[in-house]
Amino acid sequence: MTVVGSSKNHPLYSELVSITDEERVNDNQVIIAAYAQDACHLEAEKPGIIVMPNSVEEVQEIVKLCARTKTPIVPAGGRNGICGAVLPRVPNVVMLDMVNMDKVIKIDEDVMTVTIEAGLRWAELIHRLDEKDYKLGFRGPYGGNVGTVGGSVSINSIGYAASKYGPSTEGVVSLEVVLANGEVIRTGTGWNPDAQLFGRYSTFNDLTGIFLGDHGTLGIKTKVTLKIYPKAEFFTYGDFGFKTLTEATDFLLEAQKYGFTEELILLADRQSTETFFPGLLNKHKEVQAFISAIVQETDLQLANRKMEILREMSEKFGAKDIGNFAAQMHWSEMFNLVQPLYNNGFWLNTCHLRPINRIPEVMDRMWAIFKKYKLLDNDIKWIASCLAADRAYATGWITIFVPTKDKMEMALKAWNEMLDEIFDTGACPYWSGLLWEERAVKKADKNFLDTYWKIKKALDPENIFAPEVFKGGN
Amino acid sequence: MHQKFSKEVTKITTNLKNLSKYEDEMWLCARCGDCSLADKTVASNRDVYLPCAIKNVLGFEAFAARGRIMIMNDLLNERIPLSNDIVDWAHTCTTCKSCMETCTATADGINLPDMIEALRRDLVQNEFVMPKHQVIEDSINELGNPYKEPSGKRLELFGNRVWPETAPVIYYVGCTSSYREQEIARTTVELFDKLGIDYTVLPEEQCCGSVLLRLGRTKSFERITKMNLEQMKAAGAQTIVTACAGCYRTWKIDVPNEGYKYDFELLHVTEFLDRMVGEGKVSFESPKPLKVTYHDPCHLGRHAEVYEAPRRVIESVENVTLVEMETNKRYAHCCGSGGGVKGSFGNLANDVAGNRIREAEETEVDVLITACPFCHKGLVDGAKHIDSELPVVDLPEFLLPFVRKGRKRIMAENPLKKKFMTYLTAHPKIFEGLKKGATIDYDLEGDRFHVFVTGKSQIDVNPVRAENPDVELIFAPKAVEKLITFDSEDEYAARFGLFFKEPTDDEWIKFVLRLNIVKLLMKGYRKFAQKAGLI
Repeated sequence: MTVVGSSKNHPLYSELVSITDEERVNDNQVIIAAYAQDACHLEAEKPGIIVMPNSVEEVQEIVKLCARTKTPIVPAGGRNGICGAVLPRVPNVVMLDMVNMDKVIKIDEDVMTVTIEAGLRWAELIHRLDEKDYKLGFRGPYGGNVGTVGGSVSINSIGYAASKYGPSTEGVVSLEVVLANGEVIRTGTGWNPDAQLFGRYSTFNDLTGIFLGDHGTLGIKTKVTLKIYPKAEFFTYGDFGFKTLTEATDFLLEAQKYGFTEELILLADRQSTETFFPGLLNKHKEVQAFISAIVQETDLQLANRKMEILREMSEKFGAKDIGNFAAQMHWSEMFNLVQPLYNNGFWLNTCHLRPINRIPEVMDRMWAIFKKYKLLDNDIKWIASCLAADRAYATGWITIFVPTKDKMEMALKAWNEMLDEIFDTGACPYWSGLLWEERAVKKADKNFLDTYWKIKKALDPENIFAPEVFKGGN
Repeated sequence: MHQKFSKEVTKITTNLKNLSKYEDEMWLCARCGDCSLADKTVASNRDVYLPCAIKNVLGFEAFAARGRIMIMNDLLNERIPLSNDIVDWAHTCTTCKSCMETCTATADGINLPDMIEALRRDLVQNEFVMPKHQVIEDSINELGNPYKEPSGKRLELFGNRVWPETAPVIYYVGCTSSYREQEIARTTVELFDKLGIDYTVLPEEQCCGSVLLRLGRTKSFERITKMNLEQMKAAGAQTIVTACAGCYRTWKIDVPNEGYKYDFELLHVTEFLDRMVGEGKVSFESPKPLKVTYHDPCHLGRHAEVYEAPRRVIESVENVTLVEMETNKRYAHCCGSGGGVKGSFGNLANDVAGNRIREAEETEVDVLITACPFCHKGLVDGAKHIDSELPVVDLPEFLLPFVRKGRKRIMAENPLKKKFMTYLTAHPKIFEGLKKGATIDYDLEGDRFHVFVTGKSQIDVNPVRAENPDVELIFAPKAVEKLITFDSEDEYAARFGLFFKEPTDDEWIKFVLRLNIVKLLMKGYRKFAQKAGLI
């Protein structure tokens, strides 16, 4: 049903209603206002009209309509990303709110994959797999209550269990994508209509990879097939304190190379630990950096042994064993870990990737900025945390929390300096969005970008998908 | 190279003076979207599932708290104007508080219900109104009820009964039970009679004013509250009992918040009956086995934090089994009727109620019980709306045929629970550092009790599950057997921590955090955790 009716001003209103229905199309400014930002402070154009498709067939028809009329189109998932990736760069965009497309299509136990509609949220997917005694590899971004699988793999999202399984995109086997002409492509083994969706790399080149991290510029993802694993019920946890950040990062790198942990996360200084978990280090005055480790296995002995090895390893780096409460809380509060931090104020993030060995270098620069702007004196707290990922790199989650609106101007100055220094120390943001794009495009190798634009032009000749993204404009 | 914060300079609209008070709180909403799309069933043992019942029907983000705050920010910043669309939109929120309960951005959650009511007050003051709301206000002013019913007919449903002028207990009937859901009033009275309660009703009961507050029309609240209070005083009330969750919330929360004091005890009928059951003054028995589920009225549950009393009463009925819906207690989906939604958009309320009925049907029960005439009306309409045959009954109506006066249902008692309670009572220092009001629920193989901190190292150990605990602690029996052997609180704490950090198959402790970490620390749990060696 509809309570706040459409304004019916958007030129495609009637045709979009005929493809879907009146209840799922709206261009009223009251409705649109709720789609004008994601979970960061940045702003761009408001969408022109919101459509909530229910099926791939509807998405196909909408894309055909947009292509025919050369109308820009932007897909949106849970819209709780923190880089502005989902925000339109041009006016009058048709925004697809994909959250109605949230079905689990198939759990294929023979080949250990799950195929879902792209608007399904990570937490819901975990729930559904758990009932069948399976788990995902990568579990979802820290906002996975709301973040959708389609949204995450479109922006190279990273988060829970990336230490063992890599970022969201590593778990993808196949995609179903609606192309700019309205036709559908299935990647991975999906090229063969008679094959199960069991593998990503087969017979031809990896077309899945073209669409992963595309920020919605090359097509609309409607289905995602992910790897699944037997549910592992045995956990061991460890919390380790270090006298220096260098010792902590040396341990982080060493431990990460072994790949024992589901989650291995560093809090880079006492202030970060205090912001995240007030009082945790009160009894450990000498501890400057803190690491939590979570091991998950199908066998208890295996889980115990891995944690023992990690403890032994940590001693070589001078670690203090400080129990496992924080690690347990970290894992049990999955998808609910970050939200209490908002109590400190609105956040300005700098999410990126970097080699583990370059964490101390960037933190030296961050501390200098924090000092320069007297952040703590201004009640601006920070958290510098690094989630180990894949084999030897980590996220750089260095975030400041602005307690009141009047502190925003000063905080933004500090934040912009942080972004510059982070790039200067070898960072590669995992997502781009409004947050990083200008800097990323300036930095990017010309041949790399030219190749991307050739692909874009070939796949989307009328430039309807997320126009202006990756151009570096701000 | 600097990035822009905002395209517009912030400018507060002066005529949104009520809403603008919430500007700082809106700043703390980081738009995570949990209030709209969260599913924490697996992640944190919180039973949240798509918490906004209105958004679940209307679809667009504008109807969930995250979107509503974005829109309200735009109103304050004059990016969008007040309009009739805003009036409609503002009255689609049931103010059920589900979003606030889900939200962990602040210690209590971002207070969307209060923001919406503030905006509604601003709308009224700016003359952006729904005509039907004016009719309701006029009716309350002229007739003492929102239904345009003659005030003299209020007590007609009880026939020619002569009510005593004074009594220790007053049954505050409420407008919906008096005029629309009369069966609830009749059965409540019949139940009280059967139980031998010494009670009366107010001779000229006025509307409690809930609907006025919910719709942003506050002018008449003072007059009707004073009229009711005067009558209550004249009747010598020691205890006011109501079967209406909306009236209960108004008397329990809104009336004191508006500056009125009263010295009587206020109980919802579920609390009143729970007390009688606990004291062994009444028991109930169904002649045949029944499976039932219970819908938490938002005004009784999330707003007034009464979750367990109705459940204990239901579970006390011999031959009755309570089955919980997927969303229940603090995360229960709203029925869709509250906050003025049913009066403003009846079809929307029916759709929302229909979804709740479907949720109840999934439990495969015989009966859906609720404890609020407004929820009852909404759910009955919702059932009709989706052609469901699931019976919906209010709690007094459900209980009336099952009264078995004086015989208590014998519940098997876990002897270890009793020993544990005795031990904790003798060792209040375990809870040193916890602030007054801290509440810890204990679960021993499903047997519950709770510790309530009443002061510095002072506790009450209560044999029932807490209404709204901060933390739930789940114990293996062997762990308890060990813990209660320690004379020293420090030894207890150390072993407690060990059972959590290094659990074995037989000796373990698990936590369920019901509050976010910020709020737990504010309540003093840091010291508790440090003593246990957890941090």
